[in-house]
Amino acid sequence: MKKVASYLLMLGLLVACGGGCGTVASTVAGLPGVPESVKPAVDIAAKTGEKAVAAAREITPSEEYYLGRGVAARILARYPLSKDEALQTYVNKVGHTVAAKASGSRPSKGYHFAVLESSAANSFACPGGIILITKGMLQACANEDQLAAVLAHEVGHVANRDGIASISQARWTEVATTAGTEIAKQYGGTLGQVVAQFEGAIDDVFKTVIVNGYSRAAEENADRAGVQMLKGAGYNPAAMSAILTAMSAKGGSGGILGTHPTVTDRLDNIKVVAQEANTQMEPARTQRFQAVLRR
Amino acid sequence: MNGEKRVWRPWRRLLIVLLLLSLAAGPSVGTAQTFKTVTGKQQLYATPSFSGEVLGTVPEGSEVTIIQQSGAWSQVEYQGQQGWLPAQAFAGSKKVDLSGLLQGKVVKESKTDEVALAGKGFTPEVEADFRQKNPSLRYDLVDQIEQFTVNAAALQAFRQEGGLR
Repeated sequence: MKKVASYLLMLGLLVACGGGCGTVASTVAGLPGVPESVKPAVDIAAKTGEKAVAAAREITPSEEYYLGRGVAARILARYPLSKDEALQTYVNKVGHTVAAKASGSRPSKGYHFAVLESSAANSFACPGGIILITKGMLQACANEDQLAAVLAHEVGHVANRDGIASISQARWTEVATTAGTEIAKQYGGTLGQVVAQFEGAIDDVFKTVIVNGYSRAAEENADRAGVQMLKGAGYNPAAMSAILTAMSAKGGSGGILGTHPTVTDRLDNIKVVAQEANTQMEPARTQRFQAVLRR
Repeated sequence: MNGEKRVWRPWRRLLIVLLLLSLAAGPSVGTAQTFKTVTGKQQLYATPSFSGEVLGTVPEGSEVTIIQQSGAWSQVEYQGQQGWLPAQAFAGSKKVDLSGLLQGKVVKESKTDEVALAGKGFTPEVEADFRQKNPSLRYDLVDQIEQFTVNAAALQAFRQEGGLR
């Protein structure tokens, strides 16, 4: 019994040393010096310990990537992808230009921008770096700088991990609950539980992105981050105010506009100083924007 | 003396385990090691940067040889071609089989059971199961979007033309 306790103590120390050590802890049972009678207890404790660590940790960039793919797959089941390759390339060039100036966390596989076939003005930021914008939103933009403002705002949501924040805490800690059933179940059925949790987390993010919108603080932070990206990239930062005002005038509520806070509050939040605007090359940018859209 | 020996034995084993962990912590210098890319289709970059030139793709499950590591990037050889993969390419890697490490043999992944997979959280395996249960979701279009790339030179020209940085 003392032997079992000493092995479990040793295992506990290994698990306690962090997530990186957690997966290797289960190799303890495979060591030649561990008696056969102890192995089952060590195995179960190791697996339970791994799950406890998983429940306590934050979502990883890799998990964020897979969640984002799931959210994007759901949106793409609703809106078809534009087959206009020149338009896709152009939007990606604008998007990558502003995303290169983003602060905060960078998606594990970089950003990807795509245009959807829909006349409704909308834009969506999926966790993990996929940013979708409808043709309706492109048409609502007067020029490239306003398009850059929309994309920069969405990049801000990804960089601030706003989508991930919408996953309910209860759902994420469900992983801890499965740890409690580990010993009773031995090794059965847990992958199915995680798949159900995965589906639930996608649903949480999807509802926030499509239906409910982000919090007031998240929208204002994304606006500020977007303005910083515009400034950093050399776009006119006043384009953020311009597209918000234009969308508000049209009475829309989708994508960048959201449902709250009010546009007046958001304009007050960013307070772009006109003198800081770099407008010298704006006509050239507007010209190529119109050329791509008129094709 | 015997009592002292009994007290210290578990700690000796702990030291052995820690030694093995330190050996397994990363690729050793000068020794090529083989891992599996398991996180879906990967792009092979000419330089350790997402804005670098894309040399080609590495299909899911392909084995690549690690040449060196630089920050979050690994220089690899795949089918005779050298390039760079981000660390996330190996994010879903399974447990490493340590047998043979001390003999200088190639280190390979070992297959893990369902519980271990579940313990890793949201992985390619979880996505695969979810996709199978939800065939109406357009993962095919997501894969297509991930193939949208902008050549670094073309992006630079685009910025220059628009007076951007």
